[in-house]
Amino acid sequence: MTDRDSAPWWERVERGEFAVQECAGCGLARWPARAFCASCHAERWTWRAVEPLGRIESWIVNHRPFPEGSVVVLVRLDAVPGALVPGGWSPDREPVGGEAVRARLDAAPILWGPVSG
Amino acid sequence: MPCVAKRLFNFADRTAVAGVGYTPFTKDSGVSTLTLACRAILAALDDAGLTPADVDGLATHRVGDSAAPSLVGPALGIDDPAWYLDQFGGGSVSHAVVGQAALAVASGLAETVVCYRAINARSEFRMGRAGSASPEAQYQTPYGLVAPAQHFALYARAHMLKYGTTEQHFGQIAVRQRAYAVKNPRALMRTPITLDDHVGSRWITEPFRLLDCCLETDGACALVITTAERARSLRRTPVLVSAAAWGGGTSALSGGRADPTVTAAATLAPRLYGQAGAGPGDIDVAMLYDCFTYSVLVQLEDYGFCAKGEGGPFVASGEGPPVNTHGGFLSEGYVHGLNHVAEAVSQLRWDAGDRQVPGAETALSTAQPGYVLPATSALILRRDR
Repeated sequence: MTDRDSAPWWERVERGEFAVQECAGCGLARWPARAFCASCHAERWTWRAVEPLGRIESWIVNHRPFPEGSVVVLVRLDAVPGALVPGGWSPDREPVGGEAVRARLDAAPILWGPVSG
Repeated sequence: MPCVAKRLFNFADRTAVAGVGYTPFTKDSGVSTLTLACRAILAALDDAGLTPADVDGLATHRVGDSAAPSLVGPALGIDDPAWYLDQFGGGSVSHAVVGQAALAVASGLAETVVCYRAINARSEFRMGRAGSASPEAQYQTPYGLVAPAQHFALYARAHMLKYGTTEQHFGQIAVRQRAYAVKNPRALMRTPITLDDHVGSRWITEPFRLLDCCLETDGACALVITTAERARSLRRTPVLVSAAAWGGGTSALSGGRADPTVTAAATLAPRLYGQAGAGPGDIDVAMLYDCFTYSVLVQLEDYGFCAKGEGGPFVASGEGPPVNTHGGFLSEGYVHGLNHVAEAVSQLRWDAGDRQVPGAETALSTAQPGYVLPATSALILRRDR
């Protein structure tokens, strides 16, 4: 499931940490995991734990042949505004466009819900 | 943006589509993809008045689901093609395969190339449930995000939220294309539908209903590409490859494209139009990749037929060129892209029967606009004068 670039990210998720890469050359934050900075091309980075916060960019509600009623969200990360992260959805209601959300990392793999919840 | 076309080897109008061929489109072909490929290739060669002995190039694209040129060549007695292409990829590269064949012919590496795509996308390899080939799948499959319909539904909802696009706009695309399919003997779905039928069809993944989704299809399609000069000596009206462009770079999910309502087609379109010396206003008929209704709407914007965000009202107005006159993947069948090119050829040869766009001279045909894998491709074709 993971690859050699992303394994350290998933290990952090398992520890309950939401991390992004920060380029050691130019400081640009990025997600998903990549060895090279697409901007300055440095192959050096640090992992930076961030608050798992974002905003709902979009979502779907699945029906047959997919698991009936399951919701998948697309979240724009506060820490990396260019990054759109897919995830699960924990509340019983549908999301709202632009809604501020926080990820729960205790429930595998990542479930999003309202910040104030 | 620099004018890329000026430093390119210019192959505009130097090659032509000389023949097209199909197998029937079905839900269960009962034969291998190798057999489908051979049938479509022989049909295309026959259409052009050629035989396998005339072929010195073969090209396809696939995602591990079909017969490679190295299998198809020997099966048809084409033992030593001077040029072949076995392109990895799905719908997004479908038109790049034709473009690269045209480039090979224009450069002299080959004289007559057959492009084909053969799939049993219903009976063997369920395209609609296929997992993504992208390394980014690891961030998607844990949440049950596995199928193209779900990806496109996410982007469609983003467009609805940002621009007020509605399900009715999607429905109008489905209804209009079905009306064309009624006039197309090849089409799998030939019963007319209404907006009520669209809204009454069951949900697949909200905001998409069944009638927003294309048809998983068994079938094959093939095109014969040769020099414009040679095509003029053959029996069909040549259809010139006026422009072929492919590219892309990032997808909405690779951290590189911040706006999921804009596709790679927006990047590629100026390059494509520049090669042909044409613009959206010159397009008489357009085949826009319609894996889902929404992909038509977003390409109307990204290929410049209307402004970004206005795709919904533009669809409702009925303005712009006729789109997907075969019924598209929604109603004719889904051969992963090449049947769009073949319909464009038919329109420009003026042999499209009851669905013919009168006097069509210039056509746009496009690939999957670069959402699932971060690339797209497209062609501008022109009737030879």
